[in-house]
Amino acid sequence: MSTTTITTESGTVLEKGAIGQSIPRKEDRRLVQGQGVFFDDIRRHGTGYVHFVRSPYAHAKIVSIDVSAALALDGVYGTITGDEVAIHTDPFFEMSTPPGANIKDYALAVGKVRFQGEPVAAVCATTRELARDAAELVEVEYEPLPALVDAEEAAKDEVVLHEEAGSNIVWSGVFDWGDVDQALAEADHVVKIKRLHFHRFSSTPLECSGALVEYQKGTGQWTLYCNHQMPGVGAIWMAPALRCGIDKLRFVTQDIGGAFGNKICLHPYYVVLCLLARKLGRPVQWTEWRTDQHTANAHGNERTFLDVEVAVKADGEMTGFKVKAVDDCGAFPRYEPLGCIIWAQVTPGCYGWRNIRVDFTQACTNKAPVSPNRGYSRMQHLWLTERVVDIVAAELGLDPVEVRKRNYVKAEQMPYETPNGCVYDSGDYARSLDIALELIGYDRLDERRKDAAARGKLLGFGIGSTLDSGTNNFGQSQLLNPELQFSGNNEAAMVKLDIFGEVVVTLGTVPQGQGHETTASQVVSDIIGCSPEQVHVRPGHDSFFNSSAGFSGTYASQFAVTGLGAVKGAAELLRDEMIKLAAFVLQAPEEAIELADGFARIKDGPEEAALPFMALGAIVNANNAFLPPDFNPTLNHRYVYRPYFGVVDVEKKMGKLTLTYASQIHACLVEIDPETGQTEIVDYAAVDDCGVRVHPQIVEGQVHGATAHAIGAALHEDFVYDEDGTLLTPNFYDYHVPHTMDMPPLKTGYVESPSPVSPLGAKGMGEGGGGGIHAICSAIQDALRSEGAPIVYDSCNPSHRVWSMLQDAEQTRALVEVTSK
Amino acid sequence: MRVEGVKELSGGREVVWEVLNDPASMAKLMPGVESFEVTDDTHWSANVKVPLGLGGLKMKMNFEKTEEREPEFARLVAKGTGVGAIMNMDTAFTLTEAGSGTSMKWEADVKIAGPVGSMGQRVLQPIINQQVENVLTALEKQVSEAAAQ
Repeated sequence: MSTTTITTESGTVLEKGAIGQSIPRKEDRRLVQGQGVFFDDIRRHGTGYVHFVRSPYAHAKIVSIDVSAALALDGVYGTITGDEVAIHTDPFFEMSTPPGANIKDYALAVGKVRFQGEPVAAVCATTRELARDAAELVEVEYEPLPALVDAEEAAKDEVVLHEEAGSNIVWSGVFDWGDVDQALAEADHVVKIKRLHFHRFSSTPLECSGALVEYQKGTGQWTLYCNHQMPGVGAIWMAPALRCGIDKLRFVTQDIGGAFGNKICLHPYYVVLCLLARKLGRPVQWTEWRTDQHTANAHGNERTFLDVEVAVKADGEMTGFKVKAVDDCGAFPRYEPLGCIIWAQVTPGCYGWRNIRVDFTQACTNKAPVSPNRGYSRMQHLWLTERVVDIVAAELGLDPVEVRKRNYVKAEQMPYETPNGCVYDSGDYARSLDIALELIGYDRLDERRKDAAARGKLLGFGIGSTLDSGTNNFGQSQLLNPELQFSGNNEAAMVKLDIFGEVVVTLGTVPQGQGHETTASQVVSDIIGCSPEQVHVRPGHDSFFNSSAGFSGTYASQFAVTGLGAVKGAAELLRDEMIKLAAFVLQAPEEAIELADGFARIKDGPEEAALPFMALGAIVNANNAFLPPDFNPTLNHRYVYRPYFGVVDVEKKMGKLTLTYASQIHACLVEIDPETGQTEIVDYAAVDDCGVRVHPQIVEGQVHGATAHAIGAALHEDFVYDEDGTLLTPNFYDYHVPHTMDMPPLKTGYVESPSPVSPLGAKGMGEGGGGGIHAICSAIQDALRSEGAPIVYDSCNPSHRVWSMLQDAEQTRALVEVTSK
Repeated sequence: MRVEGVKELSGGREVVWEVLNDPASMAKLMPGVESFEVTDDTHWSANVKVPLGLGGLKMKMNFEKTEEREPEFARLVAKGTGVGAIMNMDTAFTLTEAGSGTSMKWEADVKIAGPVGSMGQRVLQPIINQQVENVLTALEKQVSEAAAQ
């Protein structure tokens, strides 16, 4: 029998041992040998393969769907259309208040399509190829409608996407902390920026989405072998839609080829698979095609910032800002409107702004729905803060390094409460910046400018200061909709000692390459006194393991806190019981027992006064007759880690929205060819501070990955739509992700400011906060300073945009206005 | 995508009108026509193969003549469906006498939706230009032949 214990206390930082060492990753052997098990490796007899029929239009009425020709094709098992979905399921739960709450979102389009690539029907056949051929025989008649591809236009409601909602606005509200009007009135300079635009992209995973779904008629239960990265929440969406209990949905994952948030909103596809598996009485499998992944899976939030006003003192201190933000969530608010509040975790960025007003509106457009994307919602806001700092510095003639150091939250202010009640737990941003500057040779900047100029190039220097807020408080959703019954966070793990002395760990998290098996083994081995090799961590996730909690998953930069917090808690329970058992067997006081090297032994006792873990496991599991009736050790413990947040203040829109704040300070040098606008990164440094680094190499890998995503987003990756809502970059030919040759040599550094609130002193850090986007925008603006000083107004700056800024700097300069007293 | 132009033809306006409004002649003008069927005076359909990137895009096209002012103006709407693409075309021409010949002012608004539309954006303009050129050359030839008869 396992036991469950819940506690909210923070422990102490572990000293010495496996934690902090870059031990070989447990997962790598199977992965590099091609022995990983991804959902697409699962085979079942009689499987039908599914292909989705998708809309070529961004916005159209569905006049008719005729599947007869597809059904007549030999080898086709069956089809499903939106009308069937509307009969057999309910619309997905919406998190917004009205009008967003009134949107009806089904697994397939019902009556109307709202983005190019939206699934309108699905065909199941003997092979993937046949299903694709058969899907082409499905005749859909459409009546095109005007497409909305701009959130500001959409907000006018001249064309409405969701008639039942009556408006394209999903959510809107004003966040007002401090007194920004007073700050602006008392400022020596007010810098106004008319418009900044954070573009639409996605951190495309190597593995596309998909699942194999089996339905067991006898129990009414579905098993989904899949790559959903947040199955607990996936089930919360799916079960009510399917009109079943959560227990009827079993999610199983092992290896996942990257997720980055894009695999959180897979529920519409999975519901269709569940319906087909039940309808056809056979397992069904769907592997998303790459073009479909680009066209119709999840994109990151696009956001436009309007009418920014920044209050600046004569000495360069920035005391506040106000802004209108218009967020484009695409056709359906699937994870939204959470993006309307998640940014508030990092409201002042790395800075000491105390007076901030954000007027936030989110609207639907005829583009692919958004979902969390590495750095979700905070990245957009942090980009704004970094743009503001650089534009203010440039317009007022301030040094970008000095102005940052003047305005950064200081190490001695930690833990620091932001104007909206979040608590930055630890960090030393100025020190991290110094390290970054040293890594790129900032002291030789003038020399390098001259050298570049001699070669006809423009050299630019940029900084990206960013935060990776981790361990989400779901209570922040109540700041959007007080009726929502979500708050806090939790994660579970089980640790047991088995009959032959095996230490077995089961995680609730859903790893996608972050090395959970490795780091969990480090934590357990340090606590129970054995080597990490002796700790077996079950790969992947199975919701029937009973080791998961409501918010289980890998997202929001939290495994090092929640996942390892649960592992630590369970391992400590096991350790205590092992000591108790050894004390009983060895007839010694518990204080005299130590666990080390795979033995429970009496400290300083004779050599024979030692029990190998195998003996403890065997006693409890197979040889327990001699144990007294009132002593019943299980050596099998489940622990749920729950961080403490307290309740949020709905009226003031304040509270602890997240637990930890890792920081990343990026600095880079770029060279721009003034003839072509081509940008080359010639030096790059990223300094990470994620508290205690459990496994430094894994931390470094995350820094590299997040930086690569940011570089791609800053220079190439852009989901561009034409006026009709057709995606013009639906594949890797047009949507260029960084290749090895695009990556600059990265220099990395670190600072370790242990978190006082996390179980191991560690912080989640996998998302990177878009530091690279901020730094590259900063560097491009600096490089172009001698060419009319254009303002970098967009987060994506491919050559054509840089070239345009070179041609007409004044057009961008018109975006900025400075009033000095 | 919008394309337009003016073409000077050697035949008289009636001759040009005749060629442009005879479905059989029209079929010969269109590129990649594999079959052509006349439903009634104002409705035709065709199976065409549009050269697009690698290989051709097979489409079933339905044409409807929506406006006609003989012998100077006609408007034609075409809707095509194919694998991964839906094409809508709205085209019109105006004929004016120019000496012994005819001046044809033409315009077309072509929209391709769907994945092919996405992928074809880079190549669509030159392909459309080329196809228009082919149509106009074929038209000139037919007008010359008809005028000679």
